[in-house]
Amino acid sequence: MKTIYLAGAILAGSASMALAQQLAPSPTLDAVKARGHIECGVHLGLPGFSFANDKGEWTGLDVDYCKALAAAVLGDATKVKFTPTSVQQRWPILQSGQVDLLSRNSTITFSRNATLGLNFQGINFYEGQTFIVRKKANAKTAADLDGASICVAAGSTEEKNAADWFRERNLKVTITNFQKNDDAITAYDSGRCDAYTAGVGALAGQRAKLKVPDEHVILTQPISNDPQGPVTRWGDERWQLIVRWVLNGTIAAEMLGVTSKNVDEMKANSKNTEVRRLLGAEGGFGAMMGLPDDWMYKVIKQVGNYGESYERTVGMGSALKLERGQNQLWTKGGLLFTPPFQ
Amino acid sequence: MSKALAFINDKRVRDWFYQAAVLIGLVGLLVYFIRNASENMVKAGIASGFDFLWRTSGIDVPFVLTSYTQSDNILALFWAGVANTLFVTAVSLVLATLLGFAIGIARLSSIWLVSALAGAYVEFVRNIPLLFFVLFWYFGVIAALPSPRDSISVFGVAFINNRGLTIPLPDAPANFHWAFGAILVAFVAQWLFARWAKRRKEATGQDAPLLVVSLILLVLVPVLALSWASLATRWDIPVLRGFNYRGGFVVIPEFVALLAALVTYTAGFIAEIVRGGIQSVPHGQIEASAALGLRPAQTLRLVTIPQALRVMTPPMTNQYLNVLKNSSFGAAIAYPDVVSLFMGSALNNTGQAIEIIAMTLAVYLVIGLAVSAFMNWYNAKIALVTR
Repeated sequence: MKTIYLAGAILAGSASMALAQQLAPSPTLDAVKARGHIECGVHLGLPGFSFANDKGEWTGLDVDYCKALAAAVLGDATKVKFTPTSVQQRWPILQSGQVDLLSRNSTITFSRNATLGLNFQGINFYEGQTFIVRKKANAKTAADLDGASICVAAGSTEEKNAADWFRERNLKVTITNFQKNDDAITAYDSGRCDAYTAGVGALAGQRAKLKVPDEHVILTQPISNDPQGPVTRWGDERWQLIVRWVLNGTIAAEMLGVTSKNVDEMKANSKNTEVRRLLGAEGGFGAMMGLPDDWMYKVIKQVGNYGESYERTVGMGSALKLERGQNQLWTKGGLLFTPPFQ
Repeated sequence: MSKALAFINDKRVRDWFYQAAVLIGLVGLLVYFIRNASENMVKAGIASGFDFLWRTSGIDVPFVLTSYTQSDNILALFWAGVANTLFVTAVSLVLATLLGFAIGIARLSSIWLVSALAGAYVEFVRNIPLLFFVLFWYFGVIAALPSPRDSISVFGVAFINNRGLTIPLPDAPANFHWAFGAILVAFVAQWLFARWAKRRKEATGQDAPLLVVSLILLVLVPVLALSWASLATRWDIPVLRGFNYRGGFVVIPEFVALLAALVTYTAGFIAEIVRGGIQSVPHGQIEASAALGLRPAQTLRLVTIPQALRVMTPPMTNQYLNVLKNSSFGAAIAYPDVVSLFMGSALNNTGQAIEIIAMTLAVYLVIGLAVSAFMNWYNAKIALVTR
C-alpha cells in the first residue's frame, strides 16, 4: 500500500514539475536567444525617438524600449541591432520576420491591427498631430492654415488625418505627399510648402533639421490622437507577452518609485510585494514567460524606468524639452497606466 | 516498336509535347507561388484580395486630371495615378523627340561650335543618373521661383510661384467642347484635302494650293475657335487670398521638374539615335540627290530622313518605353503618379503589397505593350516596300 502512495506521490510530483516547466513554444524568443541579439525596427532618424549619432550609437525613447527588451530577454541592454525603416518599409519588414519587433513612432490604428497581421503591445508615447509653420505666416491654430500647401510623408496617418480634418471644416489645403519624412521636411524648408505636419514629439525633434529652426513655430493645438508603441506580428503569443510586459514593467517601476539608482536597494529591502514581484525577489514572474526572474531588475538597472528614459530622450534632460503632458502617469494627471503585477 | 506508339517519332508531336510540358510547368509554378503566398498571408493575419479597392481613399491629391476627390474610393485614386503617369509620359515623349531631333541634327552640323555643344550635351546627359536630374530640376525649380506673395504675373490671369503655375479655368467648358470639335473637323478636312491633292498630282501633275488651305485649316480655324470660346466663357481667375492663389488650375512644380528631367535626359539618347540613323544612310544617296539637283533641305526631307527613320524606329521604341518607366522617378519628388499614389500612399494605408504591386506592374506592362504595338505598326508602315 505504501509503495502505491509513494508511486502516486512521485507521479503527481513529476507531473506537476513537467506542467510547471511547460511553456508555449516561442520561435521568436528561441531565435533571439540563439542569435544573441534582438532585431529591432526603428525610425530612419527622428531625434528624441530613434536617432543614430556620428558614432552609430542609437538613442531615443523608442530605442530605449528595445534596449529594455534586450536587458529583459538577454540580460544585456546593448544586445540590440537596430534596423532603420522608412514609412513604406516598416510593415513588410516586420511581417516578413526580418525584425523581431518595431519600436518606431507608428500610430496604433484599427485597420492596421485588423488587416496587417500586426499587434500593438501598449503605448509608450501619446502623440498628437500638429503643424510646423513659418513664424511670419502668423498662424496660431490649424484652422488658420486655410489655403496652405502642406508637406507630409505618404502613407502616414498624418496624411489622412490632415486631409480629413480640413475637409470636415470646409477648409481647402493642398497636401503634397513625399515618400520619406526627410524629403517632406526638405521640401518644406525650401519653401515648397507653408506647413509640414507630424506629431508634436516628432516635430520637436525634426525642427532641428531645418536650416534656421528659430524661424519656425510648432502649433500647440493637436488635431488628433496618435498613440504609439511597440508592434509585433500575429502569432507567437509568448513573445507578444514579453514585449507587452517589459513596457508595462518600465511604467510600473516609475509608479512604484523604482529607479536605476535605487533598484539594488529596493530589491534587497522593499517590503512592497508588487516591487518584490517586479524585481524578481518573489513570485517567479520571469519564469512564467521563460525569462530569468530578475528580468525587470536588469531592465531598470541598465535602462531605467519609463520616466527616466522619457526625461533623458525627449523630456527636460534632452534637446526636445517636451513636457510630460499626456505621457505622465495617470496618478499625476497623465494617461500612462499599467495593469498590476499580480 | 509497335505502330500505336509510332507517333512519338513524329517531330511535330514531340515539339508540341515539350512546349506543352514547359508551359504546364510554368503555370503550375505560378499557381503554387500564388497559393503559397495567400496561405501564408492568411496564417499571418494579413488581409488579401481586391476588396480594398472599394474602400474610401481619404488621400488628398494635389494634381488631378480625372474627377477624383478625397472621398472617392481607392480604385479612383489608382486611375488618378495612372492618368498622371500617362500625362507626364505623353508630354515628355513629344518634347523629348523634338529636342532630341534638334540636338541630333545639330551634332552633324558643319559648324564646329554647334556640333561640339551638341556632342558635349549628349556625353554629359548619358553619363549622369536620372535621379540626379530629377532632384536637380526639382530643387532648382523650387529655388528659382518666388513665394506666392511675390508671384510672377502673366497678364494678371496666370501666376507663377513655388506652389506651381496657377492658370485660369473656364467656369463652363461647353464652348470649349464646340471649339475642340471644330478644330478636329478642320484637321480631318486638311488630311482629306492633302490626300486628294496628292492623288490628283500623281494622276494629272496639277498642283493644288496646299499651303494656303493648310494654313487656314491648321492655324486660322484653331485660333478663331479658341478665341471665340475664350471670349464667350466666364473664367475663374485665380486671386491671392491668404497663403496662395485660389481658383483656377495649378500645374504643380513637381510636374514641371519631372517633365524637364525626363525631356532633357531622354533627348540626349534620342539625339544619338537620330545621329546614328542619319549617318546610316549611305553617302552615295546624298551625292545622287545632289546630282539630281535637290537642294540640301530637300535632300534631308526627301532622301535622308525617310531612310534614317527605318533605322531609328526600333531604338526609338526602346527610348519611349524608357520614358514611361522612368516617369516612376516622380515618386522621388512627390509627383503624384501611379507609383507615388498607389504604391506609396494606398499601399501604406491598406498594407496589401502583393495586390497593389501586381496592379502597378500591370499598368506599366499594358501601357508598354501598347506603345510597342504602335511602334511596330509604324515600323511596318515605313518599312521599305519592295515591289
